[in-house]
Formats: sequence, C-alpha cells, structure tokens
Amino acid sequence: MATSQDAADREMLAQAAGGDQAAFAKLYDRLSGPLYSLAVRMLSDANEAQDAVQEVFVQIWRRAAKYDPTQSSVFSWAMLMTRSRIIDRLRARGRRLRVVASSTDDTNDAAAAADASVAESAADTADRNEEAMRVRTVLDKLPAEQRQAIDLAFFSELTHHQIADQLGQPLGTIKARIRRGLLKLREQIT
Amino acid sequence: MITDDLQDQAALYVLGSLSADETAAFEDSLRNDADLRALVCDLREAAGDLGRSVPAKRPPAELKRRVLREIALEKQARSPRSRTAAANWLPWAIAAAFIALCAILVVDRTRLQRELAAARKTDSPSMLVTLASPNGEHPDAKVTVAWQPDRQSGTITIANMPPPGPGRDYQLWAIDANHKDPISAGIIHIDPNGVARIRFKPDQAVAQIKAFAISIEREGGTTKPEGPIVMIGNA
Repeated sequence: MATSQDAADREMLAQAAGGDQAAFAKLYDRLSGPLYSLAVRMLSDANEAQDAVQEVFVQIWRRAAKYDPTQSSVFSWAMLMTRSRIIDRLRARGRRLRVVASSTDDTNDAAAAADASVAESAADTADRNEEAMRVRTVLDKLPAEQRQAIDLAFFSELTHHQIADQLGQPLGTIKARIRRGLLKLREQIT
Repeated sequence: MITDDLQDQAALYVLGSLSADETAAFEDSLRNDADLRALVCDLREAAGDLGRSVPAKRPPAELKRRVLREIALEKQARSPRSRTAAANWLPWAIAAAFIALCAILVVDRTRLQRELAAARKTDSPSMLVTLASPNGEHPDAKVTVAWQPDRQSGTITIANMPPPGPGRDYQLWAIDANHKDPISAGIIHIDPNGVARIRFKPDQAVAQIKAFAISIEREGGTTKPEGPIVMIGNA
C-alpha cells in the first residue's frame, strides 16, 4: 500500500539519481535512523554499524537510477540492502549473532548499552518508537514458532538450513513458518 | 494459484537465502507470473516492517558528514563534463588527480598525526603504521593504519589500490605476538577510485601488535588468511 511518505521517498531518490545531492541528504535524514537502528541491533557494535550504514548509502547513491518502484517501497529496498550488507559483515567476521529471544528485551542488550550515548531524545524518536512498538505488538500476536523463525531468518546471518538445525525442525517446517510469519505480519500491518 | 512450495521460495528469495541456482530458477518463475511478483512485493514490505521493529537509535552527526563527503567525491568522479572532455584533457586530468591525491594524502596524514597527537594527550596511546607491498606490487598504493591499543580499534586509510578482482575481497589482519594466527580485522571495501577510510575492530583482543597486513581473500572473507598478502607493515 503506497503512502505519501513512499511517494516522497521515491521523489527524493529520483532526484538523487539525477545527481541532486540536496535530495540525497534529505533521503539520508529520512532513512538513516531506521537503517542505523537495524545495524546496531544486528552488529552489536555502534562503530561497525556506522561503517555499514555509510557503505549502504554509497550503494543507494550508485543504484538510485536502477531502483524499481514496482518491486518495493524505497524504505524496504534500503532496509533489505542494509540487512544484506550487515549479513556480509557478520559472515565475514565469523561471528554468530546473539539472538535475543524477545525483541522487547532489546533495551537491556549490549548494543543498547554501547550506543546509549547516541540514543535519540524522546521528542526526536517518538514517531519511530511508536512505529516500532506497533510492529512489535503485531509480532507478539504471531504464533511463537513463526515469530522465532522470522526473527532468526531476518536478524541473524543463519541460513534456513542452519535455523532448521538449530531448532531441530524439518527444513520444510522452517520455510513454511518464515513464509507464514512474514505474510501474517504484512497482513496485520496494512 | 501459487503453490506453498513457491511461496516458501518467495520468502527465502526476499531474504536472500536461496542459492545462486535456486535464485535463477525462481527469477524465471517470477518473469512469467504476476501473482508471484505481487507476493514478492508483499514479502519485501513485510521485511521492511520487520526492520522497523527495532528500538530507534540516532546515528551520530559525523556519519552524515562522512556519507555526503563520499557522495560528493563520487559525483565529482562521474561528472559528464569530466567524461566527455576526458580525451582532450586526460593528461591534465591525470596531473590534477595526482596533485589532488598528494594533497589529500598530505591532509590525511596531517589529520592522522593530529589525531595521534590528540590521542596521546588524552592518555590514549596510538600508533601509526604504514603498509607496503612485500614484493613491490602496487607501488602507488598508500595504506596507513592508525591503531589505538587501549580502544582495540583503529582506522585504515587507503588510496590508489587496484580492485581485488571479481569474487575477491581485501581483508585486513592484525598480527599479534600472542596469537598463533593473524586476527581478522574485517573486509576492506575500496571505492572505484581505489580509496577507502574504514574504522575497524579486530575479532579478538590484540595484546601485542606486531604488524598489520592485507590479503586478497574470497568474497566475504575468511577466518584465517588463505590468499596472498598484498600489503604489510610492522608496528
């Protein structure tokens, strides 16, 4: 479902594709918070998260002209690009993400502690935190096994084969849980 | 009607979890199936929604400056004027680029030295390590590491490095007297101009740094160096 924000994002990206650095700076302001938040959550390292986000924005600049609005919103395109870059980093470093069983415990994790100095003020982040809470509320309503499967599939570098091994479940079951969880999440949010 | 199996593949495709062969086969199906394309769109948006679920953090202001600086350099390098005029102005452009590179390196080295001095003043002893090719390759490449032992992190600055080649990545290693094997300090992505400036943190604690090295590894890197060392510098 396209929103006015999607349209504004597309406009900024189209201008950036034409070499407009001011439009790109606006797009940065719009996307950097969510992309950086994801990077901190997955990498558990504020410095590395900054490097990853910097690489992603350079990639966005280079690929802006190739963006296809029929395939995804600019936000999801950038979010998936960020996730992919983070997973490259996690795999390259041979690390294993410590998966937090409940996403609501995030405020207690190491990343949050390490990044406390750059946490947004309540005024600046109210909207995004409200949005995050809304998505988490929907996630909490999913069956636990679907929530666990999509949490591992999205926030860790584990493959679906590794997730099946880790959870001791057949591969087909894990694939179905990931798919059902994602679709249910989408259905509840739109 | 999309089968369950194809729906499962769609979810894995969006998450980048399919193998190269599976991806190619799935993309064939996508081309001929509008319903499947719509499903993939929905799944991409679901993935975007998941990304929204994490607690909000604000990136430091310095990150925006870094990004916009890099974009400005990219734009400059790609400007149509410089491309169309390249044939006539190539010798001048090379000379200008060389002068600019020298200036950047002088400024960068000055900055690194200033950072080093500042770090020393704040009781945060650092060291500056210059890396060079062990066999004389890449004579124009300039690679410098500023290492802060107490923070267990550093910054690597690279200019004039050729690309590592298809399917390959440069990987930075910290060689510690107390470790049998080099410690990975991460993948180094250089831009099309052969330039990079990256903050790094080795995977393990480095007690007594002996040297830093860059090797060429398979894409994504390795846990132990397997490829050739292309740059090395003693601490």
